[in-house]
Amino acid sequence: MTSLGSVPSVLLGVLLMVVAGGSSLRADAVVRVVATTSLVADLVREIGGTRVSVKSLMGPGVDPHSYQPTPSDLRALQDADVVAFHGLHLEGRMENVLQRLRSRRAQVVAITSDLPVTRLRRVGEGEGAYDPHVWFEVGLWRECISTVVAALVRADPAGTETYQARGEALRARLVALDEWVRRELAVIPKERRVLVTSHDAFGYFGRAYDFEVIGLQGISTVGEAALSAMTELTQLLARRRIPAIFVESSVSPKAIQRVAADAGVRVGGELYSDSLGAPGLAADGTDPSTYEGMVRHNVRTLVSALR
Amino acid sequence: MTPEWVLPAFDAHAALVAPWTEHRDTFGWVGVMGFCVAAACGLLGNYLLLRRMALMGDAVSHSVLPGLVIAFLVSGGRGTGPMFAGALVAGLVATLIIDLLQSRTPLKQDAAIGIVFSTLFAIGVVLAVAFAGQIDLDPDCVLNGELLFVALEPSVAVGSLTLAPPAVIRMASVLALVIAVIVVGYRALLVSSFDPGIARSAGVHVRGVRLGLMLLLSLVVVSAFEAVGAVLVVAMLILPGATATLITERLPRMHGIAVVHAGASVWLGVGLAVWLDCSLAPAIVVAGAALFVAAWLMGPRGGLLIQLWERNRVQS
Repeated sequence: MTSLGSVPSVLLGVLLMVVAGGSSLRADAVVRVVATTSLVADLVREIGGTRVSVKSLMGPGVDPHSYQPTPSDLRALQDADVVAFHGLHLEGRMENVLQRLRSRRAQVVAITSDLPVTRLRRVGEGEGAYDPHVWFEVGLWRECISTVVAALVRADPAGTETYQARGEALRARLVALDEWVRRELAVIPKERRVLVTSHDAFGYFGRAYDFEVIGLQGISTVGEAALSAMTELTQLLARRRIPAIFVESSVSPKAIQRVAADAGVRVGGELYSDSLGAPGLAADGTDPSTYEGMVRHNVRTLVSALR
Repeated sequence: MTPEWVLPAFDAHAALVAPWTEHRDTFGWVGVMGFCVAAACGLLGNYLLLRRMALMGDAVSHSVLPGLVIAFLVSGGRGTGPMFAGALVAGLVATLIIDLLQSRTPLKQDAAIGIVFSTLFAIGVVLAVAFAGQIDLDPDCVLNGELLFVALEPSVAVGSLTLAPPAVIRMASVLALVIAVIVVGYRALLVSSFDPGIARSAGVHVRGVRLGLMLLLSLVVVSAFEAVGAVLVVAMLILPGATATLITERLPRMHGIAVVHAGASVWLGVGLAVWLDCSLAPAIVVAGAALFVAAWLMGPRGGLLIQLWERNRVQS
């Protein structure tokens, strides 16, 4: 009886967690922030603490390319004190719309706007064609903290001390996280430092932690993987004896699973790429709904598959 | 246990009244924009239906990709102006080739449409992969301005007079142009749509009328793209006229019904989107389709209820 009775309550608990994860704006908080992606929302939450209430437009597992706004998103954007987005074209055309919000009273900030261009990866031609996936280089994501702190201070000068203190604390934690990542990855031998995933999200990761990164699709997740790319990849996996390749949480796993089957390699697990995971603990004890948990999850997945 | 989380409770005031009263600053211009798109599409769609060219809108909306790619390569960016021009030219080229194929070859229109839009789409994909590299040129991404975001656009002001957001002004101009063309060219459009033979003998330049209509169609489709995307614009072109067809066979009334259908779709669509908190353009199309079904059930021309009633009357 108890086991039967507990099923609905577990369901209810999961439901409540999902509802809490969808987090509408709380009325009692000082600063109302709307963030575009779950990663941006997490960064603002870490820095703002209880002085801010953050609504994330794109929930866990949502591909920024396929986001469609709802009426409540619109109301939240209109009522927001701070609108934080990622920038570097991650949000596509929506960026233009968000920029226009500047003419209202809201602080609008692209959290990557203060990153020095020299540290960004150029992709393709044309102005502003940079790889947006900066969060995979922990040291680069750390540089976004000061931009968020400044935006929150502008919106809520009374909280300056809080924001600066929390920003400093987060910076220290990310320094430690960066060291942890390097330590963990050190067990993977040089010749196996190849990361094969669905799309080119891990360029910064490869650059920072000395991995060769191969994405089946381009930077954008929209197109289908080209047949020639799949064949080339299959041959390369066999030639280089790469033991495992990886699927991404916000991209369909089909193409990668197909390549893995063709090349006879393992799918080494699911990496979080363009968005964080749902709240709750993954099997490896990390919580991929936070930035730090997501990084730890990805690194543990890589280490266990490639070591 | 009641499955409360499946559907949120329906609050008639919040869904159907509040968007136009206390939340007017959120939904006001969104509603006007939606109405302009739906009405322009619906009015023009009447003629497409009469001419059995309903899928021409689909053809135009899928033909724009090569135009977008070429505009991107020429202008070196994704600015709205060049993208709009590229899409418009590509849509025009598509309609011209379709017209050429159906008038100069034994092919019928359906085959001509099928060949042209899929080929142009394929050319667009080839061009994009060959020359634009990995750049993101999905028509929905480039041209889909998202109806709801109209609310965030600041209005254009002339002197001390605040007008409307630029997107609304653009779409209202397109609607005004459609209405003007229908008013001015009413007779020629009417006769050539119902009976090209009679029209020709009455001195109407039938091919000219058709090309003019296609030009207007390209303009409407590409403009509407900005608000509702490539797929849903087809529904907006066909649903109002199809609904009107089930109610009347007189063209002026069809126009009236199409406009009413446009307004009602937007009103109910906003209600649906607010109720379920979903994206707006699909909600408007769903509402428009529901109105079509209502006309199908209850309409005076071939409505299911009428048929049922008449069958019973004959039997008794």
